[in-house]
Formats: sequence, structure tokens, C-alpha cells
Amino acid sequence: MLRWIASALDSSVGKKILMGLTGILLVLFLLEHLAGNLFLYVPGGEEAFGPFDAYVDFFPRFGPLLPVAEVALGLLFAVHALYAIRITLANREARPTKYVVRNDRGAKTIGSASMILTGLALLAFLVVHLLDFRFDAGFHGDHGRTVAAKLARPGRALFYLAIMAVLGVHLSHGAQSALQSLGIHHPRWTRFLRGLGIAVAVFFAVGFASFPIYYLFFWTAGGAH
Amino acid sequence: MSGSGGGKTMRITLKIWRQASRDAGGQIATYHLDEVSPDMSFLEMLDVLNEKLIEAGGDPVAFDHDCREGICGACSQVIDGQAHGPERSTTVCQLHMRHYSDGATIYVEPWRARAFPVLKDLVVDRGALDRIQAAGGFISVHTGSVPEASAILVQKEDSDRAMDAAACIGCGACVAACPNSAAMLFVGAKLAHLSLLPQGAVERDRRVLAMVRAMDAEGFGICSNHYECEAACPKEISVETIARMNRQYLAALLRERPSRAPA
Amino acid sequence: MAAETSPRLVSRCPAGPIAARWDKRRFELKLVNPANKRRFRAIVVGTGLAGSSAAASLAELGYEVTAICISDSPRRAHSIAAQGGINAAKNYPNDGDSIFRLFYDTVKGGDFRARESNVYRLAQVSNNIIDQCAAQGVPFAREYGGVLANRSFGGAQVSRTFYARGQTGQQLLLGAYSAMMRQVGLGKVKLLPRREMLDLVLVDGVARGVILRNLVTGEYERHAGDAVLLGTGGYSNVFYLSTNAKACNVTAAWRAHKKGAFFANPCFTQIHPTCIPVSGEYQSKLTLMSESLRNDGRVWVPKKAGDRRPAAEIPEEERDYYLERRYPSFGNLVPRDVASRAAKERCDAGFGVGATGLAVYLDFRDAIQRDGEAVIRDKYGNLFQMYEKITAEDPYRVPMRIYPAVHYTMGGLWVDYDLETTIPGLFALGECNFSDHGANRLGASALMQGLADGYFVVPCTIGGHFAGRKLAKAGTDHPAFAEAEREARERTARLLAIGGRRTVDSFHRELGRTMWDHCGMGRNEKGLRTAKARIRALRGEYWENLKVAGKAEELNQNLEHAGRVADFLEFAEVMVDDALHRTESCGGHFREESQTEEGEARRDDQNFCYVAAWEHRGVGEPGTLHKETLAFEHVPLTQRSYK
Ligand SMILES: Cc1cc2nc3c(=O)[nH]c(=O)nc-3n(C[C@H](O)[C@H](O)[C@H](O)COP(=O)(O)OP(=O)(O)OC[C@H]3O[C@@H](n4cnc5c(N)ncnc54)[C@H](O)[C@@H]3O)c2cc1C
Ligand code: HEM
Ligand code: HEM
Ligand code: SF4
Ligand code: F3S
Ligand code: FES
Repeated sequence: MLRWIASALDSSVGKKILMGLTGILLVLFLLEHLAGNLFLYVPGGEEAFGPFDAYVDFFPRFGPLLPVAEVALGLLFAVHALYAIRITLANREARPTKYVVRNDRGAKTIGSASMILTGLALLAFLVVHLLDFRFDAGFHGDHGRTVAAKLARPGRALFYLAIMAVLGVHLSHGAQSALQSLGIHHPRWTRFLRGLGIAVAVFFAVGFASFPIYYLFFWTAGGAH
Repeated sequence: MSGSGGGKTMRITLKIWRQASRDAGGQIATYHLDEVSPDMSFLEMLDVLNEKLIEAGGDPVAFDHDCREGICGACSQVIDGQAHGPERSTTVCQLHMRHYSDGATIYVEPWRARAFPVLKDLVVDRGALDRIQAAGGFISVHTGSVPEASAILVQKEDSDRAMDAAACIGCGACVAACPNSAAMLFVGAKLAHLSLLPQGAVERDRRVLAMVRAMDAEGFGICSNHYECEAACPKEISVETIARMNRQYLAALLRERPSRAPA
Repeated sequence: MAAETSPRLVSRCPAGPIAARWDKRRFELKLVNPANKRRFRAIVVGTGLAGSSAAASLAELGYEVTAICISDSPRRAHSIAAQGGINAAKNYPNDGDSIFRLFYDTVKGGDFRARESNVYRLAQVSNNIIDQCAAQGVPFAREYGGVLANRSFGGAQVSRTFYARGQTGQQLLLGAYSAMMRQVGLGKVKLLPRREMLDLVLVDGVARGVILRNLVTGEYERHAGDAVLLGTGGYSNVFYLSTNAKACNVTAAWRAHKKGAFFANPCFTQIHPTCIPVSGEYQSKLTLMSESLRNDGRVWVPKKAGDRRPAAEIPEEERDYYLERRYPSFGNLVPRDVASRAAKERCDAGFGVGATGLAVYLDFRDAIQRDGEAVIRDKYGNLFQMYEKITAEDPYRVPMRIYPAVHYTMGGLWVDYDLETTIPGLFALGECNFSDHGANRLGASALMQGLADGYFVVPCTIGGHFAGRKLAKAGTDHPAFAEAEREARERTARLLAIGGRRTVDSFHRELGRTMWDHCGMGRNEKGLRTAKARIRALRGEYWENLKVAGKAEELNQNLEHAGRVADFLEFAEVMVDDALHRTESCGGHFREESQTEEGEARRDDQNFCYVAAWEHRGVGEPGTLHKETLAFEHVPLTQRSYK
């Protein structure tokens, strides 16, 4: 069984399928993450960040399942990133002598050409991001307010904004690419699916970017929101 | 009237990759041609250059070619950074000089991929593609041991789509154009051709596993869906064939039974 | 009647009812014990339809096979370029076809210069070919009901042509190639691409091996086996400009000829009427467009010689639809040779169109008016596109310009019913043998013949050779190999040592022009004698004034070409000799001295109802002519008429 999986994943197509799968799962995670973060916008009456805090505090109820899920999520990122790097390195080797002149025919996009760069940027972001919240004592004291306060700092906010643009670029190729990698392709749907990929990218980029924008420009530390 | 040229000729500067042999280093060399007719094909223009080089005691530029009508798949040049040159769905041998203007400078390079080592100048070794075929690009029937041709009905749509994929001329432009040097379009096309037909569906799983394994052994890159291959393919093979291959591979993996042969 | 058959030409055609002859022969042939098959190695030179199908089938039977081709991949053999289709006597459309009718049409179409027994067998196995190819995954055109589609082709009165879009040859070749590659994967076929056969090796008079030049390294290689099969294609490139691929050559067949294989009917060449005309001096090859175009296009030239007006400005009454005028009942659909000659006649008389005056119009105006552009686009869209790519003219607006071009060679190595040449153990298949097409090949029948030879005939008949003869051990260390290799090396060294001033290409072009002018569509004694003298002079100059670039020990395309042109220069003379001696007109061979008052071909069955097989007597020496008399018991000898 293990040998079978290993050999399957060692093949080029196996790697692609794995990239596609992990990519889609990451998108699903983002969906959940964005939905959760939207609680930040839900007015909480008395408690300024009541709904969001409640959402964050809900997780420990999963008990031992939570660390399991977190490790799984970590693995997801790790596998995705690791295979991304392996694939990129393998592809470099596949063309030892470069072309003197190189001219694409316009099929390649900024997104597809920069996957490894945007991916690595996301990886770097994750480190900062986890230190910001997941491993931040302040956050574990006062969830919502810490988020707001951190994102209200111009430096942080700009950094987050930049990364959300990067995320958009990554997904502009990644979303439809994952479908192709998993074998989902039909002439009738292709244009629609490629459009949908862009829509997904914009959706996440804008959705996440709204937080730093909001807290930077429209939020005062004393206010309710 | 006859042709667009009407006696006009052009001056062309060529920057061509010259490499003496597989192990030698290579570099770009510059050549000037004065009397290029717009009605010449690109290869005829190279013929003229070669005649000049030979007459001057030099070494003519080696390049693969044979049918010169876009069907054998022998010709293989990257022109100004594009596999088979600037025209869509056109092989180098069908490209004509009328697409260039007087005074143009044109870069000509070989296919570049680790799996396609340069043998000389613009000639590369594409044996890898044959080895992939040998691994599974066939339907296992013996001569004679076949049913009557019309005994197997094939939906016209399937047959037409199989033909679309079967139109691949094995030129390798997909590899040359792919930023990753992946051969997925070539392999996908062959798998699609054979598996779309009921005759070939029988050994579909075995075929996809074997051909992908063989492809990997040749040192091609891994597809990340840049779709440049499709844009460069002279026969307009669709990247749908790649998706189909991925799907088939996944299905084959899931269905594959552990081998009972002693380890 | 014509002369007696030469004792050197034993056809081995079985006697008896024609339908039972192939069965009979198969029964007569000795079988090789299955367990012994792997002790025999067949060397297959050429991987076109004939070579690939033979290599695959022999390996499937259990023989060891070595397969050799010039190109980097066996899939690139010139069979790949065939567009139109492949005939078979399936009679799916229920329009009265049968094995006998296909046989009859092929014999008659070949102008009665082919062997009845062979042609009948060809028609018999034609149906197996379609079964075989369909099972291999050849995506033949289908009807909506899922059954195979047919079309009528080349003026045939029944629909018996199977096709895969406009790429039938490609698809059939890929089928044969994939079958062969399967055997490569299984280790039964050893594949040697980028090799050129430079000589045949005989041991005790039997073909036992070949000498190859590795086209990448320039090294010489010896390969030994128990039989050698040549599937090396046709020699149209003796004309320089032809529809054949650039690497097509006569080298393998010619070297075999020099070793003792007789060359049959070398003057029988086919000219295809619908090719894109030459555009300039630099022209390197010609492109054929499917003759299906003549189903809807009308051929014409201006009535006034030298009329230089654009086609659109020439009014209807000043156009000469000469095919319709001369052949009212067949019109634009007359056979290839007739249409080609008629075009040449008009152009020679000064009525040709285009910048060179060497073209006639093929006009779709009326068809477009009648059926609408959409219908025409649907039928010929890809051909129109190809035309436009090459000429930059839009055939929907201006008529196409076409001119005939050399396309196929019916002549080739003489073979008996078993496809064995006059050298024991040397077989010839496909276009490289003198084949089943007589003096003229019908459309869609070369693909059929190549595959018949490779899939069904030679796998049977080769057993007779293996089992029937005592074959001594003969490895590559046998002195015959060393001798042949030495000769091949010396020849190459000589070519490189000439150090003259003229390029290979310039010689090849001149040879081609000579052959086209004097041994092309129309031939006469005076022209042929001129050609012969020119060939000799050119050959003399070749070995004194040739300039070949580069070295022997490297990838050297100029050197490859030099070797092939050297052989063409020798071969051309035999072609001319053959054309000279055959003073009748038949099929593709039109002797101007032998025509009717209306300028149609006149065949002479009294004196020429035979196969002319030439025996080599030294370069420049007249070859010895051997005749195989042809008997027509099933298809009565008649003159063709398309009036
Ligand atoms: C443009 C065009 C269209 C045609 N259309 C049709 C059609 O519609 N229907 C039809 O029936 N026929 C058609 N024909 C004819 C038909 O395609 C050919 O006659 C047939 O394919 C020849 O097959 P073959 O296997 O004999 O030779 P080829 O396919 O020519 O193969 C020759 C092989 O021999 C190898 N070779 C040659 N010399 C050497 C050497 N010295 N050493 C080593 N290897 C060598 C080559 O590399 C190649 O692999 C067409 C021909 C042309 C040119
Ligand atoms: C939230 C985080 C991420 C999401 C949602 C995401 C999503 C995706 C998706 C959907 C794909 C397409 C998969 C395919 O083509 O089959 C993809 C590909 C890729 N990802 Fe990510 N990714 C994320 C993080 C990362 C990280 C951290 C890296 C780090 C290196 C990375 C590198 C890549 C690369 C290089 C590819 C292209 C792979 C290929 O060549 O096929 N991604 N990603
Ligand atoms: C501006 C946008 C974002 C905000 C406001 C935000 C906010 C947060 C917060 C508050 C947490 C802590 C939750 C917890 O520990 O329970 C968190 C965790 C996390 N975030 Fe984000 N996030 C943003 C964007 C992203 C992006 C783009 C990614 C992916 C690349 C990401 C990946 C993660 C991960 C992996 C965790 C850890 C989850 C866990 O440990 O359970 N976040 N984020
Ligand atoms: S898929 Fe297209 S580009 Fe690739 S080998 Fe086939 S024809 Fe050439
Ligand atoms: S260009 Fe390359 S990355 Fe994939 S889609 Fe084509 S093989
Ligand atoms: S030379 Fe045959 S495809 Fe270009």
C-alpha cells in the first residue's frame, strides 16, 4: 500500500494530481477561513468582537480533534509547498540549456508563470501570520481586538494587502489549473471554468483584503468596529 | 498574380544555433541572405543558405525535414522563440517567407529539452517519443486475430474525436514550447486517440500507467498547465487530452490491483 | 505474341482457379516449426506501411526482427503523406463491388501490365487489411450508425475507398508503427533509426545482411540475418521535384540491383495531375492536393495563347475547358495520366497560366455558385487552406493553379509471387517492388498493396525461404560483410575526396530537369537519347566536379544526399533504357510515337505484354533485358477509352 502510494506520487501525473488535490483543499480551507473571519464584521452589541470571539472560542470544543485538524492543515500546506518546490526544481532540470530568444504564444499567464514565487511569498506570509495570531499570546487573550489592532498598523496592513494580491495571482492560475490537473475539462465548460478560476481568485483576494483595508482606514481602536 | 512576391526579394539576417555534435558546445552564428523570395518556404530559404555555405567551403546547417508538407513531423525549429515559428497551426516547413519583412532578423534554435539532446545544429534526438510509444502506445492485436471491421460499432463523435487526437505528428513542438519541457500533450494525444475507441478502451488502464512511467523515465518536465503546448501544436491538439490522461491515470491507480507476482 | 518468359524469372504463381491460388501457394509453402522461429532473424529495411507492417507481423509470429529507417522515428516514413484513402472490396455500400471487381479494375487501370495472380490476391486480402487496421485503432471515418464510411475515389464507379479525413496514410502508418513499436517494447524488434542501408551482403548467393551507415555518428554497421526485406519506397526523387519526401531514394533498391536483383519496369512512373505548381528556382519539392478536388473543380486555360489577364477578367466564352471538350463523358474525372498529359499539352502549346506559364486553372466558381461556399468549404476546406498557405491565394475567390507532378513509381525490384527478388532471401515489399499496379496505379491502391505485402503476404512466404533452404551460419564476421563494408566506406571516401566546385543539389536539379523533360509525361526516342547522353555526361562530371561539405564521421546531410544522387545518376540510365525499349504507350508511360490520331495512348499488346526486368551489367553498360510474359485469362485485354 505504502509502496503503491509512493510510486504513484513519484510519477509526474501523480504529482500533478496531488498538487491539484492539495490546492483544492487549501482553497476549501480559505473558504472556511474567510467565512470565519467575516464574524469580525458582525456587530456584537455589548461585546465589540463578540461573534468573532465566540467563533474562535468554539474551536477548543473539538477537543483532541483540534490538534489533529491543525496538524492535518499543516501537512496540507507542507505537502503542497514541498511538491511545488520539487516540481519546480525538476522542471528546471528538464531544460538544461535555455533558449536564447523566448517568445510565448500568450497562453502562459502571469499567474501560471509565477506560481512558485507567489507560493513562496504565501509561505513566508504564513510564518508571519501564524506568529501574529496563532502563536500570539495577545490573540489568545482578546481575539478580535488583537486582529483589529494589528491590521490597523499601516506596515502590517500594507503587508497583508500585498499578500492578498499575491494570493489572487496564485489562485488566478491555481483554481482552474487544479481542475485541469484532476481531469476536469470539457470544451463546453472550459471557458466558463477558466473564468470561474479568475472569479475565485478575485473573491478571495478582495475578501481577505477587506480586513486590512477596513481596520486601517475605517476603524478606531476605541470604536465598536 | 502568381504568389505575392512578384519578383521582389528581401534581405534577411539569420541568427542560427550552431553546434558541431552532441557533446560540443554551441553558439549563435549570424548569416546574411540578400535574395530571399517571399514565396520561398522557410526551409527553402535555409536550403539557399546551405548552398551558399557549401560553395564557400563552410559547413551547412543541419536540420531535420522530410515531407515538407506538414505531416511527417520531422521539421523542428524554434524561430524567434516560438516552436515552428510565428504562424498558428503551421509547421516550419509550411511557413513562408512572405510572413517576414525586408531586413528582418530571425533567430533559429533547436528544440530544447533534456529529453531531446541536440545531435547537431538544429537536429535533436526525439527517440524518447518512440520509447514512450513502445511502452504502451498501441492496441494489442496480432495480425489476423481481429474481428470484422464493422463488427465493432464506433460512435461517429468518438471516432471523430479520436481522429482529432490521432492527428498528432509526433513533432515534439509541445515539449519545445512548454516552459517545463513536459511531453504531456504528446502522450495525452496518444492516450486519447486509443482510449476513445472501443477497440482501445480495453487496455486503457495498463496503457496510461505504462506510458506515463515511460515518459517520466525520459526526463521530461511536469505539466503545470501553461497551455503553451496547445498554442504551439501544429495540429491543434487540445489540452483536453492532458486532462483526460490525468483522469485516466487516477482511475487506473485506484483500480490497479496489487500484483500477485512474487516480490 | 511477345517473347517467351526468361528462365531467370520464375514467377511461382500457382496454377488453377484464380480465387484458390493464394490458398494453394500457402499450402505448398513449408512451415517453420513454432519453436524454431526465434532462431531466424529478418532484417527489414524501411518502416513505411510495407516495412512496419512486415516487421510487426514477423515479430508476432516469433521471428527476430531488425528494423531500419533513415528518419529519426519510424513513424516518419513517406507513407505518412498519403491523403486520399485505401481501397477494399468490402462492398459495404452494396453497390456491386466484389473481390473480382476490385481485381478487374486494378488490372485494367494498370493498363494490363501486372500479374493477374498477384492482383487477385491483393483484392482478396484487401478486406483483411481494413479489419486489421480498424482493430489497431485507425480512426476511419464512420457513419452515424457507427459503421465504416466509404467514398468513391479516382473515378472508380463503386464506393470502396476507406479514409481517415485527409490523413489516411498517416493513420494507417501510425497503426502499423504502433504494432511494430509494441514488438520493440517486447524486445522482438530491434529498431535502428537514423541509419541508411548502403549495401546488401550476400553469402553463398543468399541475402544475409546489410551494411548501414549510422547517420548520427557516421559509423558503419554490419547486421546479419537470415533474410532481408526491402520496403524502401519509390524513386520519384530521380526527378528532383516530386511529391515525395526529401529523403526518398533508390539507394537500397539500386545497391540490391547491383548485387543481382533484377529491376522491373523502371520507366513506369506516375504523374499526378493536381499539384501546386513550381513558384521559383528555389523550389525544393511539390505538394500534392487530393484528386478529389476534380469532383467539383473545372479545369481550364484561356483560349488565346499567352493570355496574361487575371482569371476573373477572362470571359466565359474565352475559356477552354479542355478536359470537358476532349473527354465529354469523363470530363474532369479522366484518370491521372490522361489529365496530366492534357495539362502538359496545353502548357507546351503556350496556353499555360501564372507567372511561369506552367499551370492550368482548377476553378470552383461554378461549384460555389451551385452549392454555396459552405458546402465547398465543408468538402475541401483543409485543402483550400493548404493551398492558400503555400500560394497566398484564396481559392474561393481566384481559381487554383495546378500542374502535374511525379508522384509514384510503379517500377521497382522484380519479385515473384512470394515477393522474393531474383536474389534468394531478398524480398521487396510496397512501392519498392514492381508491384501489382502494372503501368499505372489507381488511386487508393498503393496503401492497400503496401499493407497487403507486409501484413499478409510476406509473413507467409518468408517461411518458405527459412524452412525450404539450408541456411549456413553467417555472422557479421563473415568475409562478405568485411568486403561490402569496405566498398561502402570507399565509396563515401571517394565522394568526399572529389573536391570539385558543384554542389550535390545542383547536380540533382539538373538530373531532375533532364528526366522531367525527356522521360516524364511524354517520351520519344530522340528525347530519350538526349537524356541518356546527358545523364552520362552529368555522371562523369559528378565524380570529377562534386563538392561535398564536412566529414564522413559525423552527422552529414550533404554527404547522405551525395550518396543518393550518385545512385540516381546510375539508375536514371536504366530508366531511360527501359523507356527507350518500350516503344508502346501504356499507363504512365506515353511514347509519343505510339498514339492514335486523336493523340491518345496506343498500347501494343502484340509486342509488349510483358514485364521488363533488367539485370545489372556494370555502371554505364547496357543491362540485360529479361522478359516475363503476362497472360490475361480473367480480364480481357482491351484498350482504355475515356471519351
Ligand atoms: C503525396 C502522396 C500521396 C499519396 N496518396 C495515396 C493515397 O491516397 N492512396 C494510396 O493508396 N497511395 C497513395 N500514395 C502512395 C503511397 O503513399 C506510397 O506508395 C506508399 O505509402 C509507399 O509505402 P512504402 O512502405 O512502400 O514506402 P515508404 O513509406 O516510402 O517507406 C520507405 C521507408 O524506407 C526507408 N528507406 C528508404 N531508403 C532507405 C535506405 N537506403 N536505408 C534505410 N532505410 C531506407 C525510409 O526511411 C522509409 O522508412 C501517395 C503518395 C504520395 C507521395
Ligand atoms: C492558501 C494557500 C495556497 C493555496 C490556496 C494554493 C492553491 C493552489 C492551487 C489550487 C494550485 C493549482 C494546483 C494544480 O495546478 O494542479 C496551486 C499550485 C501551486 N502552488 Fe499553491 N496554494 C497555496 C499555497 C502555496 C504555497 C505556500 C506554495 C509554496 C511554495 C505554493 C506553490 C504552488 C506552486 C508552485 C503551484 C504550481 C504547481 C504546478 O506546477 O502544477 N502554493 N496552488
Ligand atoms: C487578512 C486576512 C486574514 C486574516 C484577518 C486572518 C486571520 C487569522 C486569525 C485571526 C487566525 C487565528 C485563528 C485561530 O488560531 O483560531 C488565523 C489563523 C490562520 N490563518 Fe489567517 N487570516 C488571514 C489570511 C490568511 C491567509 C491568506 C492564509 C493562507 C495563506 C491564512 C492562513 C492561516 C492559517 C494557516 C492559520 C492557522 C490556523 C490554525 O492554526 O488553526 N490566513 N488567521
Ligand atoms: S501534440 Fe502537437 S506539438 Fe506535440 S508532438 Fe503532437 S503534433 Fe507535435
Ligand atoms: S505547455 Fe507545458 S505545462 Fe502543461 S499544459 Fe502544456 S505541457
Ligand atoms: S518536414 Fe514533414 S512536417 Fe515539416
